[in-house]
Amino acid sequence: MEVNAIVYGAAAKLVEEVLDTDLCSGCGACIGYCPYIKTIGERVAVIHDCNICEGVCYRVCPRASTNYQLLRQEVFGSAQFDPVLGTYENMYFARAGNELIHTKGQYGGVVTAIFAYALKQGLIEGALMTGGDFTRTKPAVVSTVNEMLACTGSKYTASPTLSLFQEAVKKGFQNIGIVGRPCQVTAARKMQEVTEIKGERISLVVGLFCMESFTPDFYDYIKENNLDEYYRMDIPKDVQFERNGENIFVPFDEVRKFVCKSCYSCFDPLSELADLSVGSTEHDPGWNTLIVRTEKGAELVKKAVARGVIETKPYPKELLPLLRKAVFYKKKRVLEGPDTNYLELTPYERKYFLATGVDV
Amino acid sequence: MGWKDVALTKKGNAVLLNGNEAIARGALEAGVCYASSYPGSPSSEVIDTLSKISSSDLYVEWSINEKVSLEGAAAASFAGLRSMCVMKADGLNVAFDFLTSMNLGGCKGGLVIVVADDPLGHSSVKEYDSRYLAKAAMVPVLEPSTVNEARDMVIQAFDLSEQLKGPVMLRSVTRVSHTRGLVTLNKLPKMRRKAEFPAGECFLTKTIFHMKARDRLDKAAVIIEESGFNYYEGFEGADTVIFCCGTSLLYAREAIKTLGLQNEVKVVKVGTTLPLPEKFILNHLQEASNVIFAEEIRPFLEESIMILSSRHNLGKARFYGKITGDVMGLRGPACGEMNADIIIKVLANIKNLYYRTPGYDPEVKEELGTMIPPREYAMCPGCPHRASFWAVKTAIAVDGRDCIVAGDIGCYCLGAWDTGFNLFDTLHCMGAGPGIASGLSKLGRFGLERPTVTLVGDSTFYHAVIPGLINGHYSGSDYLCIVLDNSVTAMTGHQPHPGTGINTCGEPATTVPIEKIVAGLGIPCKIADPFDNKNATECIFEMLRKPGVKVLILRQECALVQARKQGKKKRRVYVDQTICRGDTCGCGRFCTSVWGCPGNIWDPVNGKAAIDEAVCVGCGVCAALCPADAIVVEEVY
Repeated sequence: MEVNAIVYGAAAKLVEEVLDTDLCSGCGACIGYCPYIKTIGERVAVIHDCNICEGVCYRVCPRASTNYQLLRQEVFGSAQFDPVLGTYENMYFARAGNELIHTKGQYGGVVTAIFAYALKQGLIEGALMTGGDFTRTKPAVVSTVNEMLACTGSKYTASPTLSLFQEAVKKGFQNIGIVGRPCQVTAARKMQEVTEIKGERISLVVGLFCMESFTPDFYDYIKENNLDEYYRMDIPKDVQFERNGENIFVPFDEVRKFVCKSCYSCFDPLSELADLSVGSTEHDPGWNTLIVRTEKGAELVKKAVARGVIETKPYPKELLPLLRKAVFYKKKRVLEGPDTNYLELTPYERKYFLATGVDV
Repeated sequence: MGWKDVALTKKGNAVLLNGNEAIARGALEAGVCYASSYPGSPSSEVIDTLSKISSSDLYVEWSINEKVSLEGAAAASFAGLRSMCVMKADGLNVAFDFLTSMNLGGCKGGLVIVVADDPLGHSSVKEYDSRYLAKAAMVPVLEPSTVNEARDMVIQAFDLSEQLKGPVMLRSVTRVSHTRGLVTLNKLPKMRRKAEFPAGECFLTKTIFHMKARDRLDKAAVIIEESGFNYYEGFEGADTVIFCCGTSLLYAREAIKTLGLQNEVKVVKVGTTLPLPEKFILNHLQEASNVIFAEEIRPFLEESIMILSSRHNLGKARFYGKITGDVMGLRGPACGEMNADIIIKVLANIKNLYYRTPGYDPEVKEELGTMIPPREYAMCPGCPHRASFWAVKTAIAVDGRDCIVAGDIGCYCLGAWDTGFNLFDTLHCMGAGPGIASGLSKLGRFGLERPTVTLVGDSTFYHAVIPGLINGHYSGSDYLCIVLDNSVTAMTGHQPHPGTGINTCGEPATTVPIEKIVAGLGIPCKIADPFDNKNATECIFEMLRKPGVKVLILRQECALVQARKQGKKKRRVYVDQTICRGDTCGCGRFCTSVWGCPGNIWDPVNGKAAIDEAVCVGCGVCAALCPADAIVVEEVY
């Protein structure tokens, strides 16, 4: 099957294979092209049986049939990859050069810094980012640094940010940047292949590390427990809420019930198809882990470092096995789960991953 | 035609009136002082007409429901005035509790209850025969066959009511109320009655008064034996007799004429179907060999006459009716309207005549049927209900918990079918939605976890919704009540209601805002504009997920009212066909195939969408929903 083969009865297939099976990750990619797929409050639904053969919704869905091997070929020009960490050129610890961005960011502020730089350089004219905060996310089409600054900080729910892609297109942006969860990165790569929706205008894709995200019921939980009075949330291990230096911790087991079901089928916690992947170091809250994956990403990072936009240091060798182990076991759990048919992995690939994953 | 003919034409002149206007004229000629109603097709034009000529001699009221309407009219009767209360068949149920009480003690001034039945349900969700209710309430029934007779009967009904000191019902049907006929106007009375309610005069309900009601019917039977509304036509000694009432008289005449049976068949027209003019009927029953019954809807006359025949041991005649299954249309016996063909078939059968129904052969008809494009009910261009339905549909789909939608009565009944995106799961009567929603929300303990939303109208809200809300709130139910507020009683012809700020006669009146009532009940209430569809959708979605009873008012004026008010269109809407993606869009012609506004049309020449600017009212909702942004909304100055 081709990466973007035309699919007949698209919306019906989307309902049958993705929505009804709880595989939908709420990325928002299927929304905005037709009047029949809608999102409210981070929920997505096909509201009308549209029966349109050529609908793009199924083609861009990261939880519809997805052939990573072909997508890797498209993005990296090669199918060579590390079965655990994906294709990459380099890994760093990184942080924003700008103090303001650095402090506003969740850790090192690298995503905001890189995007602000890409915007200034004219690499992108607008971007899809996620504003709001952990009490309510707000997808946004941004085209100024100030708007980008309003989108700093991690969110832990599944914001359907890609639903705004058509708005960005309608605003006339020719080069659109996307910051998203791994599912949104996969969707963005699929969208790039669809000219009907002007997907080729996606020109920079930065992916986040993501172990899981929460359903909108998490918002009710936060409200009921008055956690919305805190202004920062993190999940180092347990769930941490911070307010003026005061920290409280909620055991992860208490919020586990809010983890989206679809996240248990996610085989890609590190955004393997992104130009750049960014996450926390789990060691130093002042820095991000930055994985440089594509040539485009490498070029951008090189320039950004040269201009002092971001500062990097080598990724500590001793941490790599720990990261590998965490990611390997996450992926392994998914492979052993029931809902991985969408992945189109051959038995050989499964075997290869399980055999080599931990040691490579 | 119209109220001017009713009120301003000189006596002795013949004017063309519809049945309801004729009823209004009859009431005026009888000296009616108080007329009230809750609007409902096919009865609405009676009060619509009288409201235009309200004067110091006449009080006219659109009440908020049939019960208070009848109570008001009865009060006028208690004070010795002639009063009239008008309603559709469904409304009689609402007024029934009061009617069955009041009829025991009786009243004083002539009180006529006009009930318009709707055989086949042309403009009703249900079809049924109000005469059975009259029988249960022990109220005499008069049934006009023509427009002119409707006028005459109203006058007689007032007289009869005063003779009996109890209410009298005039039963119309759609084909009387909405047919036009010549009426020669009588003199309008000059005399003005004075309302008096003397101290010590009481109107009470007691069990023992049941006897009074019974005796009143007995007295009525004596009086109506002399009534000119019961007569026969044709050969007196005919062996075949058609007993008919209401419009069936006209169908019977046509059937006899069509078959050329003028000298063989007799038509016996019964104008007073409760109580029966027994002697008159027995006269025509005794010698008959074949007896046909022609009436709408149920076999009311048929049953009464069969009992009469049995009581008098008249075993000779063969009966042809709905009970025997001989008299029936496409829907079988006792459902749907009467027509000449139905009677012709029975007559032809009795007389062994060959009769071929005019028109195409059945096979040709069937084939033609497949060639006609399907035509759904339609809501008007720019109807706010369409936007509201889309918002509800979207919100409950995204909510994903398979929400149950309890519908209610109004233009928005169309929510039960394609036009309203098949939203409704239940649809019954005025105010049933909140009650059903209240009940459904209590079934969690029995395993029913689907949330419930109910859709009601603004006029419906005042009519019957408030008790359901109070009950739900008090009993701790969980449901969202959406009030589709188009600021008028739209379905029945734009009558005012307590939210509109004008009274029956178009004068300014106290406004009773829905949101204030809801707030007063302690129920959370929000207001949204269905034309701001995204916001309305999000509002529904959010409220649906909150516990308890909630009310959301989706407020946008009825498109017809707005169009009349503003005259010239304020906004022009058109399709920029260079942007419309036509059949390649991926929306599958959303605007014409799904959205369903008559203003959205398909341009087959260019293969693109278009707007029928002659009917478009400029609401612009389709522009907001078009995925290609191809629909342009332009302010017109």
